[in-house]
Amino acid sequence: MSDVAMNDLSETPVRTRATDAKTVLAVEDLCTDFRTKAGSVRAVDGVSFELKAGEILAIVGESGSGKSVTSLSIMGLIPEPPGRIAGGRVFFDGQDLTKLTDRQLQKLRGSSLSMIFQEPMTSLNPVLSIGRQMTEGIRQHLGMSADQARRHAVEMMRRVSIPAPEHRLKEYPHQFSGGMLQRIMIAIAMSCNPKVLIADEPTTALDVTIQAQILELMQELRDMTGAAIMLITHDMGVVAETADRVIVMYAGQKIEEGSVEEVFRAPRHPYTLGLLGALPRLGQAGAVGDTELNEIPGVVPPLTDLPPGCRFSDRCSYATDKCRAETPPLETKRPGHIAACWHSDELESPT
Amino acid sequence: MDRYLLQRSLAALLTIWITTIAVSMLIHLVPGDPVQIMYAQSQGTTPEELEEVRQRLGLNEPLVVQYVQYMGRVLQGNLGTTIRGEQPVLELLLERLPNTLALAGAALLIACVIGLVSGFIAAYKRGSWLDTSLMTTAILGVSMPHFWLGLILLFFFAVRLQWFPVAGNGIENLVLPAVTLGVTNAAIIARLTRSSMIDVFDQDFIRTARAKGLPKAMVLYGHALRAGLVPIVTMIGLQFTYMMGGAIVVENVFGWNGVGRMAIQAIFQRDYPLIQGFILMFACIVVTVSLLMDVIYAWLDPRIRY
Repeated sequence: MSDVAMNDLSETPVRTRATDAKTVLAVEDLCTDFRTKAGSVRAVDGVSFELKAGEILAIVGESGSGKSVTSLSIMGLIPEPPGRIAGGRVFFDGQDLTKLTDRQLQKLRGSSLSMIFQEPMTSLNPVLSIGRQMTEGIRQHLGMSADQARRHAVEMMRRVSIPAPEHRLKEYPHQFSGGMLQRIMIAIAMSCNPKVLIADEPTTALDVTIQAQILELMQELRDMTGAAIMLITHDMGVVAETADRVIVMYAGQKIEEGSVEEVFRAPRHPYTLGLLGALPRLGQAGAVGDTELNEIPGVVPPLTDLPPGCRFSDRCSYATDKCRAETPPLETKRPGHIAACWHSDELESPT
Repeated sequence: MDRYLLQRSLAALLTIWITTIAVSMLIHLVPGDPVQIMYAQSQGTTPEELEEVRQRLGLNEPLVVQYVQYMGRVLQGNLGTTIRGEQPVLELLLERLPNTLALAGAALLIACVIGLVSGFIAAYKRGSWLDTSLMTTAILGVSMPHFWLGLILLFFFAVRLQWFPVAGNGIENLVLPAVTLGVTNAAIIARLTRSSMIDVFDQDFIRTARAKGLPKAMVLYGHALRAGLVPIVTMIGLQFTYMMGGAIVVENVFGWNGVGRMAIQAIFQRDYPLIQGFILMFACIVVTVSLLMDVIYAWLDPRIRY
């Protein structure tokens, strides 16, 4: 990459809506361990980041990268045992969530800090009506009567565009489609005006057209309520469409962070570059027929058997002896763009 | 819902109808001449008298005619009269039935309370010493034959400690037989409850319920137990029918005056009308209970209802 190009990049304004906005959630050096037969593994290893009001922060990585464990750790929903938050702090609303008792966390969960999950079809209780499942959180957190809560639920269902909400309240999850259920999940999650919504692969189980609708809905709600959204995904396409900022995780560690524009234009970590290369693109040079997806060779190493030095080194085409011996630190490569790679400067930009 | 219930009811009627065929043919399943066997114990019956009994029971008619006659009587509520004493069978059965139902009901209550509670605790504390000891006890309970447990309980609590009477038909006499019948079934229910609840605790919707910030009690009882009960209720329905069978044994061990005890006596005395009536009545009870369980099942699981 030439100097000219780099200068060009450094002048690019960072496209975060909320650069000056208040930080609502700050994760510092979070470590989460899991006990396995092969011993204790660190599923999340020293992850730090901040989430600002009104922004959509994407956390990207393959399965096993620790992105879901990070979100469950924030929510205090790590199954314990075998899981355990081994270190670090999670600041939200002026308190460290890792120090709170489960009872104290309960008050925050589902009210100011809420979460939706990957599988809408299994994420709602099959034997309870949608109405019951929508109102119980509302009654719990907002102290409403059954009737008030029902009206609030209807209002929320309207907001996520569910037709005939009064009628559908009486129905059960098996009577809804996956996309509708994810709308219900979002309605439940947004019903107590959360400051932060964590969405763990919210569209992975849905088909593509529904996917776009759900992402659009989340953006709309963000604009409407000013909530911050932490969007966990493995899909760079979803990141490009939806997020303001992106964090890339690999084998439990954060390896790159920056505004979506920056990271997509000039990734500073070969893994990110690989993820972008694995993205199907239309209108790329060459005919459709020879547009090959470049996949990253190999798989994420098991957490019980990590290579020394950089964890990505054995899959990385840029790797040198230094990479295999020394762990690269997270460094600011550009304003607001950090990455952990010894060879950041050698990376080619994706087309 | 209505269609589902209609289907279940028709299936229940079909079961009872098949039972009536089996019951009416029962007498012919005995090797040899049933009338001779019936009267073998009584001295001095002449061949003429035997022939008269055959005539009275309609045993000389073709099987189809016998069945039609039998059904005709049954539909009018006439289950015949006993060989010994010539008492109406239906009356005898109905007189004793409340005792058996009381025994089975009390046993079911004991089984459900012990089984559900210990199974739920074991699932919640999965992998702990409490879980291990509860489930070990449950295996002991499952493997224990009714008659043996009954005798042990009688020996310790009635003979040695004299807390309960050995035999009789008061409410205090109900305790030991109900416990005997209840604990073995409690063990089965406990094991099923445990596995069902463990399955439910791992479900995504439990995580959702927790993510909503619901209090633990609401997650456990409002969400987990409610969903876990579906297979358990079906199982309890089956358990009750086994329990009715077990009641026959237990009634005899404790001298409890239920229909089971009467049935055993009838079998020893080869009193066919009484045995037939007993089997038919038992079948009706079992089928009714199953139907009831289907209704509860549908009420618990909306996926069945719609």
